[in-house]
Formats: sequence, C-alpha cells, structure tokens
Amino acid sequence: MMIHRRISLSFCAAAVLGLAVLIAGQALPKAGLPILTTSAGQSTDVTTLNIVLDEAAIAYDYCDVPTPEMVADGVGLGGRESGPGFHVESTTDPDKHPAGTPYKAVIFAIGASLKGMGASGLTLDSEEARLKKVIDLCKKNKIFVMAVHIGGESKRGPAGSDNERMIDAVAPFADAIIVTKDSNKDGRFTKIAEARKIPLTEVEYALGLVDIMKQVFQ
Amino acid sequence: MNIRRLITLGGMLVLAVVLAGHMSTAVGESAPADVIAGEGCTSILVGKDASTDGSVMTTHTCDCGTCDWTWRHVPAADHKPGSTRKVYHISQYKTWPPSEGLKWDLYKNDFTGLEIPQVAHTYAYHHGMFGYMNEKQVSIGESTIGCQRKMQNPTPAAKLDLSMLTLLGVERAATAREAIQIMGSLAEKHGYGFHDDGEMLAVADPNEAWIFEICPVGPLWTPESGKPGAVWAAQRVPDDHVSVCPNESRIGEIDLANKDFFMASPNVVSLAVDMGYYDPQGGKPFSFKRAYSPVEGSAASTNGRIQRLWRFFDLVAPSGKFKPETPNMDLPFSVKPDKKISILDVMTMTRDRSYGTPFDPVQGIRGGPFKNPNYYRGTRVIDHGLAEYSTITQSRAGLPDAIGGIVWIAFGSQDTSCYMPLYAGMTEIPKSFMVGDHWTFSRDSVRWAFDYTDFHVQVAYSEAIKDIQAAQAKYETELVNRLPEIDAEALAHYKKKPAKAAEFLTAFALNNATTVTNAWWKLGDDLLVKYNRLYLYDAEKRGFSRGQPAIPDWWKRAARAFDILMEPDKK
Repeated sequence: MMIHRRISLSFCAAAVLGLAVLIAGQALPKAGLPILTTSAGQSTDVTTLNIVLDEAAIAYDYCDVPTPEMVADGVGLGGRESGPGFHVESTTDPDKHPAGTPYKAVIFAIGASLKGMGASGLTLDSEEARLKKVIDLCKKNKIFVMAVHIGGESKRGPAGSDNERMIDAVAPFADAIIVTKDSNKDGRFTKIAEARKIPLTEVEYALGLVDIMKQVFQ
Repeated sequence: MNIRRLITLGGMLVLAVVLAGHMSTAVGESAPADVIAGEGCTSILVGKDASTDGSVMTTHTCDCGTCDWTWRHVPAADHKPGSTRKVYHISQYKTWPPSEGLKWDLYKNDFTGLEIPQVAHTYAYHHGMFGYMNEKQVSIGESTIGCQRKMQNPTPAAKLDLSMLTLLGVERAATAREAIQIMGSLAEKHGYGFHDDGEMLAVADPNEAWIFEICPVGPLWTPESGKPGAVWAAQRVPDDHVSVCPNESRIGEIDLANKDFFMASPNVVSLAVDMGYYDPQGGKPFSFKRAYSPVEGSAASTNGRIQRLWRFFDLVAPSGKFKPETPNMDLPFSVKPDKKISILDVMTMTRDRSYGTPFDPVQGIRGGPFKNPNYYRGTRVIDHGLAEYSTITQSRAGLPDAIGGIVWIAFGSQDTSCYMPLYAGMTEIPKSFMVGDHWTFSRDSVRWAFDYTDFHVQVAYSEAIKDIQAAQAKYETELVNRLPEIDAEALAHYKKKPAKAAEFLTAFALNNATTVTNAWWKLGDDLLVKYNRLYLYDAEKRGFSRGQPAIPDWWKRAARAFDILMEPDKK
C-alpha cells in the first residue's frame, strides 16, 4: 500500500472515529431507577443485559414481552407472574422502590430470534407493534429509553431483515444507544444517532457495558 | 353434562384402558417446561468390546425439522508454514433459499475476524451439520445438553460455535483424545458459544469412545481476561459398555487423576465455585452435570418427555431393571449391554418409538386407526420424526482407516428411511447429498426422495410401514451382511495401491446411494398407488374390486363414543 494512500485512509478512519467520539461525546446521559429490562426481538441478548446489570449491582425488573399496560403498572408489573411464553424476574429492592413505583428507565436488548418470538407466541409484525406501543408509553411518561445491541455483526443481517426491523423499531426513539463495535461495523447506529442526535456509545465487549451502566444509573 | 354422556365418557376411558392393554399413570399431556433441557438430537455410543464386530460406534439423530441437511466432503490438504485458518460463525439452525446458494458455501460470509495458525496437514473428512468422520476414523456424534442460563455467551467475544469446533477437530485429529484436546483448547483460547451453549459430542476412534461436554462461561468473558473461554470435561465410555446422550449432560463426578478415562479444562471446578454452582464445603463431590447442566425429573415424572435415557438403558440392558421413576441424574453414565450390539441393532435403536412401554405413543386411540406414532407427540421418543438425517459412525480397528471408517447416513425420519454407507477413504460424496432444503421440493435432493416416501406412509402407517421395512431389509440389512465381502475386496485393492481402494469404495458407495435413492422414489410412487384414496390397489392383480386397509373395530367404537360425547346438552 502506498504511503499517501495509507495517510488518506488513516485520515478517513480518524474522521469517522472522531465523529463517533463526538456523538458519544455528547456526554453519557444520566437516568434514574427503577429500571425495566426487556427484549426487542426475543433473542438471548437480554440475558446478557441482565447479567451486565447484576455485575454492575444495579437492580432491575425484567419482562420478556411487556405490554404498555404492564409497564404502566410500574415495579412488579402489577403482580404478574411467569407462565408459558411469558417471563418476569425482579431484583428491584422493594424497600427502595415498592410495587407500583413508576419505572424511570426501560432498557431494550435488540436482537431478533424467530425461535424466541415463536416461544412467546409472537410474529415479527406483532413484536414490532408491541414495541411501538411500549415506546409510545415511555415517551408519553418521560421514561428514559436505552437501546442496546450486543449481538455483533453476525446477528445484524441485511437491510429489512428481522434484526434490522427490531433496530428500526427501537433505536431511533432511544435516549441513549449502547452497542458493541462489532454491531456497528457498517455505521448503522452512528447514522441513527447522528440523525436523531442520540448519544451513542461503543464498547468492545459486553463486559464494557458494566461501567457504562454504572455511569448512567448510579 | 347429561347422564348418557357421563356414562359414555366413562365407557371411553375403560375402552381406552382395554385397548391399550396397559395404561400407566405416567402417560400424560406434557411435562413442566422448566425440566426440559432440549428437544433435539440423541447420540448413542458403543464401545469396541460391546459391539458384535469390534467396531466403536456413535450416532447422531440430527433432530431439528427446519435445518439444513446438506453434506460435503473436504479433501486432505497440506499448508505452508505461517498460513492461517479462518474461523467462521456457523449456526446450526440458519438456512438459505436454494436461489441464494448452499449453506456450506454461504457460511463463509460470516467470518468471525479470527484467523488461527494453520497446521501443516489437514485430514480429509465428511461433514453435514458437524464433522462426522475423517480419514483417520475419528468420528463424532452430537446432542445439545444446555447449560445454566448465566453461562450462555451469545456475544461475538465467543468466536467458536460447535459446528466450527467439530470441523477443526476432524481436520486436525488422528485420535479421539486428540480431537477432544484440540476442540477443548481452541474453545478455551478463543471463547465458545455465540450460536450454541451446552453441548455434548460423542467422539470416537477405532479404540475408544468418549463423551465430551462443553459449555460457555458467560457473556462477560473476554479473551484479554486470561481465563478460559469455555468449560469442558470428557469421560471415556468403558470398552465393554454403551452410553447415550438424549439432550442431558451425562458426565457426573470426574477423576482427573485417571487419565485413561477423564479429561477436563483447567477451570472445570473453579468456574462452578466462582459462579455459585458448586460449594466445595458442601460435603459432596463435584459433579459436572449437577453444576453446569442440571436436569430435574425422570421419565415418569415428566410424563415421558425425558424418557429416552431410561428407554435406552432398558433396551440395551433389561436385566438392569431400570425404573422410569429413577431421576435421570441418578441413572448410570454407561452400562454393559445384556448382549453385544450390532450395527443393525444400532439402526433399530435410532428408530425406537418406545412401543410397548408406559410411554407408547400409539397406545389407546393416540395413533388413530393406523397406529401412526406421529399423531400424538406427548412422549419424546428417539425417532421423533424430526431428523434432517441420522448418522451411525463405525470406527473399525484391524482395517486400514480408509476402509475401517464408515458413516452410515439415513435422510429424513429414521423409520421410513434407509442407512447408506460413506467410507472414510472416499474422495467424493453423492451430489444428491449436497443439495436441497425444506421449502423447495427437488428431485435432485436425496432427502426429498425419503420425505416423498415418508409422506405416503403417513396415510395408513401401520400398513405402509411394512412396505418400508421390506425395502429396508433389501437395501440395508442385505448390505450390512455383505460388508465383509466389500471389506475384503477393498482390502485387496488397498494392498496393491491405497488409491485404488479409495476409488473402489467411492464408486461402490456412490452407486449404492443412487440405487437406494431411486428405490425410494419408486417406493413413494408405489405407496401412492397402493394406498390411493385409502383403498388398496394391487398393481399386479389389477382387479375390479379393490380392498381397503382394515379399519380396526375399536376405532369405529371410539368414533361412535366420541359422537355421543360431543352431543349438545338437552335441556
């Protein structure tokens, strides 16, 4: 490779990187507790998200397929319990946030899995519709929305694919986007963040989310 | 509900009991979902002193239903010093429309970014979803076992999926032990998981059969951590024993001082302690399955959902009087079979439907008038009609590897399919094995020949399966009986020139595959004619009066009883 070409490529890379840093440099937003974690597309990435929060010692409620009504019911999701195709968990401290306390943040782990959606009795269309309703509720009630994509390039898929539809359903409406570098190789999240002026943070590994979560929620 | 209906309902219940001949309280609708580790593949292992011909055998019923079934042969290759081997993500489940191409070309679009140092020489091998048999007779079978949820690592930090691991294993290993060490160490170094979690591989060579189990270590693992990116253990099946993995971890306590029978990653105990799955102060020895992949329940307590483990041991060693009520975790790792096991026995085991057990899928009215085991799938049997294909590998000492190694393949559901051999020394595989998918019918694909026939069996199962069994006797049993003759001929070629033996075996197996495939296309045609519109057409007699498959009287009575049951209440 010729030297001047190397310099040009380096300049381009620096420019792109600088832009990403600039977007990330909007400063990581702060958000409050309590938190609800959920999936956009029913992949196992939401398990990773929950493990990240455990590691960061941040308590959360989890529901794989919450409806707007469930989110509106706040901590404890109105007392709903796990059943076939429906899972809830909670590590939220009831002394700090008793049942019914409105959520201040909802974190979506984006990742489409036909197997996961099938197990929850969902189709791509119904999952998309559900997500729209939940996000509408969050916006209406000023609930902080965080979009997380940690599945990497391999789980992205081409434009219009299942995973990309899940990204479109959540990321443009988020108050913060956190992705692994591998998930943003094509700059898709950078473009969304730029267009919508959403702080975007890239991490190398899922482990990097631990510190990010601490910064946002503590 | 009126009195008449109550009486009828009671009558139906009695009828069902009488018809079934036996009715266990163990039979029910379904098990609680949380005790089911998986609904996938079954893998059987047979030690060399447990088989009738001294071969070491493994099986894999590739149970999916919507996955890719295509196969490839990869030739041996020499590699220059400093060359690298790219590592790809390979999903067991992802498929592509034929118009876009074939899986074993397209998977290379999913490069992980990892290139590992290449070895000087890679062995030739045959593979489908996994690497099954290489030219050194190293063979593999598979069954998903699952793992603790917090151990899953679907992040891109884990570079190695199970399929990729097996390809690397058969490329590089000359023995089962080597394959285990290669797969284990690569997974430790580069991280295991992504598309897969807890998995079992049956790894064998002409002398030994091993169960190798591997799990990810959680999504927060990074290669820079310096910690292993996988946890694994391997236990050898005693030579005179047989074992099985039906989607449940089989390795319990491990004795790493006994190197002839155990291997493990360095974190095998420490990870369990760190993650809270094992308490060294608890007074109990460490158990791999209890720590990393616990499954609660028994065949009976889960109404047959996890009955394959009990069923296998009951099949091979009835003298052991294994009870379906015994918790699966308490069943043995392996058993000595009551009699030595032949390749035909193993073929039959892969077709097992648990008939005559408390979990019989056709007992009572479950199978309909023609006792079709596919109507009522409450019991998870070994042959569940889900297989993309099934394999039986034979690694045979005393023969050159090219002749000794055989992977038998039956495409589609085992009960209506036919096992065809591919020898380790073959230099190509049938083209019809390399194409096709579930959503596009193709007469070029071997799998569709078997599905075509299978489809026509479903109409009058109890009758049509007899036609299938007759064909299996002709094309499968007769071939197995001819094996010594084929071995001798191949050996004669081999002694003159090994390449001639490879040519002979390749030609023989390709010809056999063509013969069997054509026979099954014709069998499908014949069944369509014979059972057309649920009558019986005798193509030889061509008589005016056609018969009808016998509808059993108990079915007619059950139908009448159901009518009464469904009558609207009279006010």
